[in-house]
Amino acid sequence: MKKVKNWLWAAVAATSMNLVFAKDGIAAPSNKELKIGISQEFENLNPTIKQMLATEYLFNLVGRPLTTMDANAKWVPVLIKEIPTLENKKAQIISVGGKKKVVATFEILEKAQWGDGHPLTCEDFDFARTVGLSPNVSTGDRETFSQFEKIEWEAATPKKCKITFEKARWDFYQIGTFYPMPKHIEEPIFKAHMNEKEGYERNSAYVKTPTNPGLYSGPYVVSEIKLGDHVTFTANPRFYGNPPKIQKIIVKLIPNTGTMEANLRSGTIDMISVLGLDMDQAIAFENKAKSENLPFDVHFVQSMTYEHIDVNLENPILKDLKVRKALTLAMDREDLVNSLYKGKLRTAVHLFSPRDPWFTDKPGEISLYKYSAREANKLLEESGWKLEKDGYRYKEGKKLSLELLTTQGNKTREMVQVILQRQMKQVGVELLPKTEQARVFFGETVKKRKFQGLAMFAWISAPESIPRSTVHSVSIPSEKNAWSGQNSTGWSNKNVDQAIDSLELEFNPKKRIELAHVISKEYTADLPVLPLYYRSDIAVTPKNLKNYKVSGHQFSDTNFVENWNLE
Amino acid sequence: MEINSMEAIKNLEKPRSMAQIVFAQFLENKAAVAGVIVILIFTVVALAAPWIQDAMNIDPDDQDLANHYLPMASYSEAPKNVKESLLHNFIAREPEKAKVLQDTLLGQHLVQVENPEDALFKLLELPPLEFEKLLISTQAPEAQSLINLSKKFKSFHLFGTDEVGRDVFIRLIYGTRISMGVGILTAVAAALVGLLIGAFSGFYGGFIDTTLMRVTDALLALPTMPVLIVIAAVDIQKVPFLNFLVTAQNQSIWKLVFILCLFSWMQVARLVRGSVLSIREREFILAARTLGANDFTIVVKHLFPNVIAPMLVSISLGVGESILYEAALSFLGLGIQPPTPSWGNMLNKAQELIFEATHLAILPGLLILLTTISFNFIGDGLQDAIDPKTIKR
Amino acid sequence: MGSYILRRLLQTLLVIVLLSYVFYYLMAMMPGDPVDLMISSNPKITPEDVIRLKSLYGLDQPAYVRYGHWVQDLIKGDFGYSRTYRVPVMELMGARLMNTFILSLASLLLALLISIPAGIYCSLHPNSKLDYTINFFSFTGISLPSFWLGIVLIILFSVKFPIFPAGGTQTVGLDDGTIWDIFADRTKYLILPVLSLSIQQIGRFSRFVRSAMLESLRNDYIRTAKAKGLSHNVIVWKHAFRNSLIPLVTILALSFSGLFSGALLTETVFAYQGVGKLVYDSIIGNDFNVAMVALLISVSMVLVMNLAADILYSVVDPRISY
Repeated sequence: MKKVKNWLWAAVAATSMNLVFAKDGIAAPSNKELKIGISQEFENLNPTIKQMLATEYLFNLVGRPLTTMDANAKWVPVLIKEIPTLENKKAQIISVGGKKKVVATFEILEKAQWGDGHPLTCEDFDFARTVGLSPNVSTGDRETFSQFEKIEWEAATPKKCKITFEKARWDFYQIGTFYPMPKHIEEPIFKAHMNEKEGYERNSAYVKTPTNPGLYSGPYVVSEIKLGDHVTFTANPRFYGNPPKIQKIIVKLIPNTGTMEANLRSGTIDMISVLGLDMDQAIAFENKAKSENLPFDVHFVQSMTYEHIDVNLENPILKDLKVRKALTLAMDREDLVNSLYKGKLRTAVHLFSPRDPWFTDKPGEISLYKYSAREANKLLEESGWKLEKDGYRYKEGKKLSLELLTTQGNKTREMVQVILQRQMKQVGVELLPKTEQARVFFGETVKKRKFQGLAMFAWISAPESIPRSTVHSVSIPSEKNAWSGQNSTGWSNKNVDQAIDSLELEFNPKKRIELAHVISKEYTADLPVLPLYYRSDIAVTPKNLKNYKVSGHQFSDTNFVENWNLE
Repeated sequence: MEINSMEAIKNLEKPRSMAQIVFAQFLENKAAVAGVIVILIFTVVALAAPWIQDAMNIDPDDQDLANHYLPMASYSEAPKNVKESLLHNFIAREPEKAKVLQDTLLGQHLVQVENPEDALFKLLELPPLEFEKLLISTQAPEAQSLINLSKKFKSFHLFGTDEVGRDVFIRLIYGTRISMGVGILTAVAAALVGLLIGAFSGFYGGFIDTTLMRVTDALLALPTMPVLIVIAAVDIQKVPFLNFLVTAQNQSIWKLVFILCLFSWMQVARLVRGSVLSIREREFILAARTLGANDFTIVVKHLFPNVIAPMLVSISLGVGESILYEAALSFLGLGIQPPTPSWGNMLNKAQELIFEATHLAILPGLLILLTTISFNFIGDGLQDAIDPKTIKR
Repeated sequence: MGSYILRRLLQTLLVIVLLSYVFYYLMAMMPGDPVDLMISSNPKITPEDVIRLKSLYGLDQPAYVRYGHWVQDLIKGDFGYSRTYRVPVMELMGARLMNTFILSLASLLLALLISIPAGIYCSLHPNSKLDYTINFFSFTGISLPSFWLGIVLIILFSVKFPIFPAGGTQTVGLDDGTIWDIFADRTKYLILPVLSLSIQQIGRFSRFVRSAMLESLRNDYIRTAKAKGLSHNVIVWKHAFRNSLIPLVTILALSFSGLFSGALLTETVFAYQGVGKLVYDSIIGNDFNVAMVALLISVSMVLVMNLAADILYSVVDPRISY
């Protein structure tokens, strides 16, 4: 028995020694390979069908659009030489049958080609449009494709595309989500299956042969893809732009954000993308990185995500403007931002983010609400809400009680709910936090305006993006318009409606700012929505990664991945 | 000799009732007794939660962002707005005292304010020691009340604070109420349901028996977690006849009990059925029937007592299981919803911060372990105590 | 015997069909819709898009109609298409099932390897110090919340003492290595999850073996065997252990049936690419096809294993016959 025991112990010791020394050391990553961790799921990389944010992130490693927004929130040409504008005469406004449209010429770069050498031309864009508009293909939003009335080119110049846009919008060139599809590979498949429901997408080469380099035109091609686990990208020798410095990139899915950090420290991943940590973790990690001198940089960049509380204007309590003002005054957002988020976020004043040229926080142009529980108390008293012994306010026998609804599973939001509950208690308002699963929240409750009082969530926008769907009165979802539109508060303001209508057609940027100021003025005066804060995008990179910039908006930083350098 | 034999006779085993035998046997099992003690302690502490809260001046809902993630056994100072509102309440409750103090302070030129009403509020800016000194120096008798109030500004956190600065100790105690409560409620309810179904099935036999047993088998065959997840995702408020039971706050608790019950009654049903089947054919049942007893009497008076014992075992083991399931569901985010504290959802929060606040990740799990293991010991002890073969003679 | 098996198989099939319908219906009752969820991430989706997508996916039809379609497809051999990943279900599930199988099998084997000798030893030396210690550990094992154990193991062995990786299935890109490399690599990732899973099983099994052995040791024929002068080993293994196999077989059968349903919680904590996590994600994401197939597999396993257990009884215990 004893001999066996000793032998067993020896075996255990040997195995564990082996494993210990077989473990990867935490060496700084080199240009040979970079491993990135993401916490969100991705689908297969077909550009016309993809829906998830993570897929977009991955796709930008292998495919590029005509134009995109860079880290400074400026629109830059990607697959083309320059952006067509009215000034450089590459775009004109024409009138067809009384309707104004824009016609613009996009010249694709000479060197642009697919990974198998086939040239990238206008017909690839036209093909993508055809697929996107096909009734049997499950495209997310049609508008990305229906905004183009037609794409034409001449046989002699297959890379010079004349695109006619349905509407004469000044932002016609902002087509960062429109990607070409390799016609030479996908067209036969599409033709064969276009009459079956979801036929094309199930048989697409992106599903069946995802490692075919001809499917991709970006700095990388896919060399291995395991859905739900990881994707391996290798440098594309046929890339039209600067050859990427990093030879191999592996993007790994780590759905449990708790272990994301553990994976980073143990070297399983070298970097955490913007779809990774949440605020709390990132702040804690930053402290750790500093105190333990870890070889990582934590980036916090203000994003275009606007976290806010929608108010149900049908609720009799909330119909009263004084109450809405009091609620805003009672929220100590500065404290939230400073103590909880260590100043990495910014208190919101209205729906336009600070990176937006339409942003303003000048006291004359909008109404500002600085935290003051005393002011809030005063306003509530004036409105007839009297403080009773239990610490809450009552009016005509009714308690000032409101439900604060948000999405389940988002730790940050749950914390904010609890914090706000406490702050509201100080002014005698009872806040009842409630959570719902995201799909119920967005699909039922908010869409059909069924939330009792307040609903907290976020809007993602882009600079100079017109808020038609969120504040125009025509976007109030109701039975009559089949619940379309996202103006769930039910706000209707003539000045705002007019400003929005004019904005779309206004080609003069200064005039646009004026119109936008009208919107923000009414928004802050009327408070149909209680602003909370502007979120930040977070990424963690190894210290030796150069030329990396968090984009801070929906167009991912991987659009510039060929510039990243690990030397 | 005679005295000895008299004593000897006395010392012969006196006839004891079943309950006494079981009880005595149970006491011999040290682990089971330890389990009972632990559960009793937890129960008492859970019930005494409001008093503990007052005595230690901590609040399960009281957040303080500046003091979040405090380590174990640390102190925290209340934030400004809490101090202000406490002062506000004081002024509202005792306006005369407040006025006197205010006048004293202004009269003795101890504070400089533009608005006389702000006098007391200005005092809050002082650090605690100076606060006390100043008030004592006024020599006003009312000052003592204000000093007493200031005692409330400081709290001791035995287990530190969580991500929003709430005291972990008191939250664990309130969590005990929820988690243990849900566990016991589920186990008892499931046992009752199982009892009814098992008795029914065993007693009437035939088609009813076969169907019920197939249903039981089918339910046992379902993979528990996935189905639990599906049912937990359904919003009960949308189901009309259950609407009256729930409010927004405790909806998740009732839903959880309902779901867990649905999956726990099968064991008891099987057990009871087996018992009933074996007893059903005995002579004393026949005798009872001859005497005119109806089905109901037979079932209740004769069958039930025989199944109570194994049922108790099932219940105590079932509590442990229910607690683990509740923890699992809350951990996945589908069980008890925050801000109501439960051990499971406290773990869910802490999962991400195993580096920064390890104690948050370990403590709730430890409590789950202790409670479950105690219930398991109790169940095991009961099982041994009831089993005639192990009763020592 | 043959007709018994046939009867049971038919019953099993019936139960599977019924359960699949109930499950499908329950999932359909879950409020919200994957299409509705898309709205939150893509503000440009219009109501026309929503209507179009719903009709494309067939989500605007009542549950029983969709169920019907699903059954039809299933009979044709088409296991469906994953809504979330846009790939055929079987392609998705194949590797995952394998991973879960490996994980469950490894922990089951480890558990048996440890608990059977431990249980037997305890039954032979009841109430000894070792017995109490092992008993205590067993109780601890069954009272642990499995996900918490996983977290604690990660804290201990990945964070405080970085010996093992904190999660995942294998190191990326190693598929082109030698068999031995792959084996060693996978083992590295498997150790913590296997430990986490098996500790519970060890607890349960060893108690079981112990009480089953105690039961059979109490029997008169053991006394007879001792009187006959048979050696200790023969008594323990040939007589006592054999007779304790019946309850053991029950437990084993139940455990085998769990091999494919996945250790959902453990897989979540360790980000292990198994079927458990997939099932959870697909239910939450309303990915019917994936969830249904996973359900079918696990339910069938359970029922088939129950049948196998019953048959094994008759083999092990000659008194039982069908």
